[in-house]
Amino acid sequence: MIGPDGSVDPGLAALAGDLAGLDEEPPQGFALRVLQAVGISRERYDTYCRLETAAGGLYVAFGPQAVTAAALTGPHPDPAAFEGLHRRRTGRSAIPAAKPFPGLVTAIRTGRARQLPLDLSALPQTDRAVLEAVRTIPAGQLRSADWIARDAGLPAATGAAEVVMHALGANPMAVLIPCHRVTGADGTPFDLPDGPEAGDRLRAAEGIDLRQVAELAREGLFLLGSDTTRIYCHPTCANARRITAAHRVPFRSPREAHHAGYRACRSCRPMTV
Amino acid sequence: MEEETAECLGDLLAADLDSGFTELVRVHARDVHTFLLRLSGSRAEADDLGQDTFLRAYTALQGYSGQRRRELRPRAWLLTIAANVWRNHLRSLARRPVSAGRVEDAADVWPDSGPGPVERAETADDRDRLVAALSELPAQHRVPVVLHHVVGMSYSEVAEVQGCPVGTAKAQVSRGLSGLRRLLTAERPALREVTA
Repeated sequence: MIGPDGSVDPGLAALAGDLAGLDEEPPQGFALRVLQAVGISRERYDTYCRLETAAGGLYVAFGPQAVTAAALTGPHPDPAAFEGLHRRRTGRSAIPAAKPFPGLVTAIRTGRARQLPLDLSALPQTDRAVLEAVRTIPAGQLRSADWIARDAGLPAATGAAEVVMHALGANPMAVLIPCHRVTGADGTPFDLPDGPEAGDRLRAAEGIDLRQVAELAREGLFLLGSDTTRIYCHPTCANARRITAAHRVPFRSPREAHHAGYRACRSCRPMTV
Repeated sequence: MEEETAECLGDLLAADLDSGFTELVRVHARDVHTFLLRLSGSRAEADDLGQDTFLRAYTALQGYSGQRRRELRPRAWLLTIAANVWRNHLRSLARRPVSAGRVEDAADVWPDSGPGPVERAETADDRDRLVAALSELPAQHRVPVVLHHVVGMSYSEVAEVQGCPVGTAKAQVSRGLSGLRRLLTAERPALREVTA
């Protein structure tokens, strides 16, 4: 506090500081109740809530029909940062709410978010195709960028991996679109855009044994076959995980497996020759 | 930053009332709620009066031209409405101190989750004493102090809410703050006497 003669009164300055501390968050749902009381249509704004995942807190924003955004609390620690991000990305206001989108809690708990309606309409066509392909990777499994490129229907040209990486980097739905399940050709996860730490936690929660995958990859082995069924799979495929050690036949490439008389698994659909 | 949001909000309101209003609520709900909470001292009342404030704001905006919406300084404008809503509320409280019809509805009334008098006395730390002192401050001093020091408005915004020149607003804030300190220092010796 500066007095009329320019002097500062420490007592009043301290009091002013205490008063500034009386600013507090409105109770849960206040803004939402205001909008409902005024009668603004639910179509005009998104609501959001914070949920806990293996990789930490996750803000999820949604409209009445679909989820519109999801971001980890790591890069956006406080609600205001997420609200600002959502406004910049989608041009819609995100209002805090207590009630999550139907099915969202289950999707996060089980890691199965494939059926959850996501609104990806703001993305370019290619990015959307890639992210839709990423969504089809089952929980607990890994897929390579090549596989994603094939499933997304990208033209078979060099640089498909860059297109996939670009789309992953632009993922507007952290965790809900499982980018942590996408690896490079050498079997190491890209972990775009949220970094390896979040990726490792999510994979560990899904029971993906990265050590085994890494061991195979070091020897240049990316596929596993069973000599009883003559079928080859991705090593993390549910069908590959139940091949007993005695019957496990590793392969370097689909070509090698094909020459050995094996066919591709129909559930994990590895690359064919 | 503040100016930028404000300008942007005015344009949004002019372009499309409903989505602009949604953004207005998102950005300023906190300030309106804090202001009313520190004026009334009750969370339940702040909630009710806050809803009333935004309802009035929306109704007013419907009648405004695009030009007027664009030139709005949203925060000062909203808090002016909030201050009026609170004054009206005080007046109706004075006229109808206890309404007989309310008794049977009492169970439906939203319970005030804030601490009661007993709890407040037990946990009377500095913050609670400050809140108590603030509620003893005369209403005409409380508004400018809360606007400037709690909500964090500039003197020119306070002046706009109070409808007075900036110099007057500064004087009101300063007088309010001194009054608050007098209340706080007057309280302490009394407490010492009781505990001794």
